[in-house]
Amino acid sequence: MRQRERDTLSVWQVVELARHPDRPYSLDYIKRMAPDFIELHGDRISHDDPALVAGLGTWHGRTTVFFGHQKGRTLAERVRRNWGMMHPEGYRKALRIARQAVKFGFPIVSLVDTPGAFPGAAAEERGIAAAIAGAIMEWFETPVPIVAAVIGEGGSGGALGMAVADRVLMLENSTYSVASPEAAASIVWRDNTRKVEAADQLQLTSRDLLAMGVVEEVVAEPEGGAHLDYEGTAVALEAALWRHLQPLLTMPVDELLQHRYERFRYIDSLIAAHPDFGPKVEPKV
Amino acid sequence: MSLPLAVRVREGVPSMSLIVPVTGTKLPPIALSTNCPSCGVGLVPEELREQAYVCDCGHHFRMHGDAWIALLADEGSWRERWADVRPHDLLDWKVPKPYQQTIDQARQEGLNEAVRTGTATLAGRPVWLGVFDFRFVGGTLSIVAGERLARGFEQAAASHTPYVLVAASGGARMQEGVLALMQLAKVNAALGRLHAARVPYFSVLTDPTFGGVSASLALLGDVNLAEPGAAIGFTGARVIKQATYADLPPGFQSAEFQLERGQVDLVVPRVELRERLARLLDLYTG
Repeated sequence: MRQRERDTLSVWQVVELARHPDRPYSLDYIKRMAPDFIELHGDRISHDDPALVAGLGTWHGRTTVFFGHQKGRTLAERVRRNWGMMHPEGYRKALRIARQAVKFGFPIVSLVDTPGAFPGAAAEERGIAAAIAGAIMEWFETPVPIVAAVIGEGGSGGALGMAVADRVLMLENSTYSVASPEAAASIVWRDNTRKVEAADQLQLTSRDLLAMGVVEEVVAEPEGGAHLDYEGTAVALEAALWRHLQPLLTMPVDELLQHRYERFRYIDSLIAAHPDFGPKVEPKV
Repeated sequence: MSLPLAVRVREGVPSMSLIVPVTGTKLPPIALSTNCPSCGVGLVPEELREQAYVCDCGHHFRMHGDAWIALLADEGSWRERWADVRPHDLLDWKVPKPYQQTIDQARQEGLNEAVRTGTATLAGRPVWLGVFDFRFVGGTLSIVAGERLARGFEQAAASHTPYVLVAASGGARMQEGVLALMQLAKVNAALGRLHAARVPYFSVLTDPTFGGVSASLALLGDVNLAEPGAAIGFTGARVIKQATYADLPPGFQSAEFQLERGQVDLVVPRVELRERLARLLDLYTG
């Protein structure tokens, strides 16, 4: 799909751009940001989760830990990576490597691109809910700078489990939502074919989230969308991530964690400050 | 898992006469079906009420927030907090039903959000209590619910008062969009402070506990207690079947299933819950 004029995209077109099969995935960015990137594997308990890439590389002269959901380009790779939907082992792997980041003082960059955590029996049997819950809580106690960016789909708790950070950015044509439009339609209509209507109501585009104060910055994509210019998108994303990480590197740890706490503790304060408990977010024109 | 759940739990249920001396409070009435869904027996509401809404066969009926407060809080000890924080239709959600209308209707029915919180004593021991109410939009986690939980965790941490949660929820509330999702982080941030302050946190998982609630505060108790037969998980069985075409075994995601898989510490019949919580409170504060 070719993006026409920037402001005339429908919400559903944005959803489709965020899911575009040619859209750059985490490794496309990580390898451009840190050409010496080395991927690490496994949760040291039972499995490796290929839906989440994790490892280290040099970024701006500093060893940095990178995380990213990875969807897979070919059908075989998509199957292997489970379309970027994590099992519990993925969150455990992330926390294991985050503890290394703390041990050695490396900052963390997390790229989010998942329809959600895997909605399957195996994930349930191995404790997906507790894995996400534990991850969300532990990010608040991880005393190194964390910057995150939603680069495609930010789906539900599966995304949030990798997006508790000091700064959260979004690429222009990415989405971040309480549930995928299909899941939301299935919940409120009991009919997942009402996905377009659900998407229209969810306010899941980057501009919606910026207006609600949930993300710090929207990173513009090159004309036509990220899938048409990997290099240009990577340069823009890299610059934005670095601009946000830089001031965090010199911040005292207590202050860093206090800010992270307050960032999420009062994340709905724009809403709560209204006398009638919240302004309506301006509807899209 | 060869026997039906109702039969399995029956042995653990002591005489119902224990309830009255333990709680000393009569539970409020609950809307019930005419027959027990587990054993099919015709129900006598007044009788069931005396039995804390547990059928003779062991089936645990869903209780709403008021009933949980009456069951756990000593009579007259409940002090509700932040009941005046109210939800609001911030996304202008219109179909299939306007969210504002959902909120207004629930308020007319006397419901006050999906989570209520406050202080009480439980068998004489001071506690913070947070109870989900499944009647309010499926007990979904919303900004107001998250705010009440987070404030409660912060205050319990500051006053070193143990926190008892009763979970019953379908997950995050769709009609509040991504801000509902953010409540998982908001609540867990505050819960982390409660843990850091070394204040005991006991989570009672009731039927059903799913989605964003099990993926945030509900499974992070120092002790996770579950009601017999309660369905507990992240993704509901209906959605799993839709997404993966999997055949799910009987008892999948039941409290007993989660006990076997290490997600809960104890499966406790409702009539024993107060006593068990009281013992845990003593052990963890002793």
